[in-house]
Amino acid sequence: MITMEHVTKRYGEGGAASVDDLSLTVPEGSTVALIGPSGCGKTTTMRMINRLIDPTEGRIIVNGEDVTKVDPVILRRHIGYVIQQVGLFPHMTIAQNIAAVPRLLGWDEARIRNRTDELLHLVGLDPAEMLKRYPRQLSGGQRQRIGVARALAADPPVLLMDEPFGAIDPIARTRLQDEFRQILQRVRKTVVLVTHDLDEAIRLGDRIAIMKSGRIVQYDTPDAILSHPADAFVENFVGIDRAIKRLSLFTVSDAMTADRPRDGAHPVASTSNLRDALALMVAANSDVLAVVDTAGTVTGRLTRDAIFSV
Amino acid sequence: MLITAFNWIVNNQPEFLRALGQHLVMSGVSLVFALAIGLPLAVLIINRGGLAFAVINSINALRTIPSLAILAIMMPLLGIGLWPSIVALTVLALPPILLNAFIGLRDVDPDAVEAAIGMGMSRGQVLRKIRIPLAAPAMFAGARTAAVQVLAGATLAPFIGGGGLGDFIAVGISMMDMSRLLVGAIPIAILALATEFTLGLAEKIFFAERTSA
Repeated sequence: MITMEHVTKRYGEGGAASVDDLSLTVPEGSTVALIGPSGCGKTTTMRMINRLIDPTEGRIIVNGEDVTKVDPVILRRHIGYVIQQVGLFPHMTIAQNIAAVPRLLGWDEARIRNRTDELLHLVGLDPAEMLKRYPRQLSGGQRQRIGVARALAADPPVLLMDEPFGAIDPIARTRLQDEFRQILQRVRKTVVLVTHDLDEAIRLGDRIAIMKSGRIVQYDTPDAILSHPADAFVENFVGIDRAIKRLSLFTVSDAMTADRPRDGAHPVASTSNLRDALALMVAANSDVLAVVDTAGTVTGRLTRDAIFSV
Repeated sequence: MLITAFNWIVNNQPEFLRALGQHLVMSGVSLVFALAIGLPLAVLIINRGGLAFAVINSINALRTIPSLAILAIMMPLLGIGLWPSIVALTVLALPPILLNAFIGLRDVDPDAVEAAIGMGMSRGQVLRKIRIPLAAPAMFAGARTAAVQVLAGATLAPFIGGGGLGDFIAVGISMMDMSRLLVGAIPIAILALATEFTLGLAEKIFFAERTSA
């Protein structure tokens, strides 16, 4: 769990606060996305958690420990950190990159080797193929996966991510985000994610903190933020299509009924999200879709009214 | 003329080899001194902004002084002979070594440094495990430039009694004996070119994994 209490960061004596009396609790095992326009203080907020930046005022407690009272170098070895440009060490092999923190912690070689294999499997890469290669020989997506594996190497309870998928092309990005969400379901981590991409925040965040001028304007679940923006700033920030964005939080199985669809209805997978289902409806110019399971069997129907009343 | 020069070498082997030895020892020792001073100094100043500014500017100023002037300055300070030449050549070799090492250390991929600090490396560990290995190619390139400069600069050592292959050039000029001049000039040119080529090749081999796609 991460608790920030009345945290302020001011650069220079009497300068403007880049983070202003901010309080935030990230529950154990949940993912919080910090989002807001550039200069809103989201990155500063995250970097104070592992003390890459020291707060001017306030307390930050990570797993019951006040971060200002421990050696920052030791603190950081127990907090995973992923940055946008990954920052893999170009002179080290993939194996050495992943082993960086375990080595700092003095693990023995056998344990490091096992852990490295385990992590590569976790992020969907083949150890036999990857271990001896250098970062330069990898694609952007592979590098980002290694970056995540490296951050998870010593199994830290907390993970900080600074626009982790920002440098990846949009198609690969969506896939990586989905993979990352699945990874998080297997390894329970408390995650703080900084992003400027609302779709990413919605896809990955259990909760979203929308920031403006160093303060949190709204801190809530993606559903609540999209359906009840706290003020005009949030409403404007989430955009005019917020109602459609919100549909991506639900799957077809959330809104379907077991009734038989009429013959010839366009099929939709029960695992698709409602945003995609609505797009299918528009494309098929129909107000009913036939819901099919993974085997292709029709299991029910999805009506336009059901989508609208979610 | 070339044949005369070659014949002279064959007939005066001991004298030629002594001069060649002097040249190599003088160059090698100065290069080692310059590396021993330059590399630690670069590491020392990399995290100290003000000191780095002062050192880099002094070294840059040093670089503008011609080689002959540096040698000439040594004479009133240290007298004549081999050691004043070595000191002068060390001064000559220092700028490329220090500047390359400093720039190499400074311009290391900032994301790698950020990641290293973020994962819990101390300042010393970032320097040892990230900055220095990543700056190694730049350091090597500095040493390579310095080696060639020192080999060429050592030609001027006879002016302050340092000996070396430059002796033949000095004698050749004073006696208007072109073939004697070539006895010094050709081996020096070969040495410089061979050093440049060998070290360039070594650089490619050592740091292959950085550039291979």
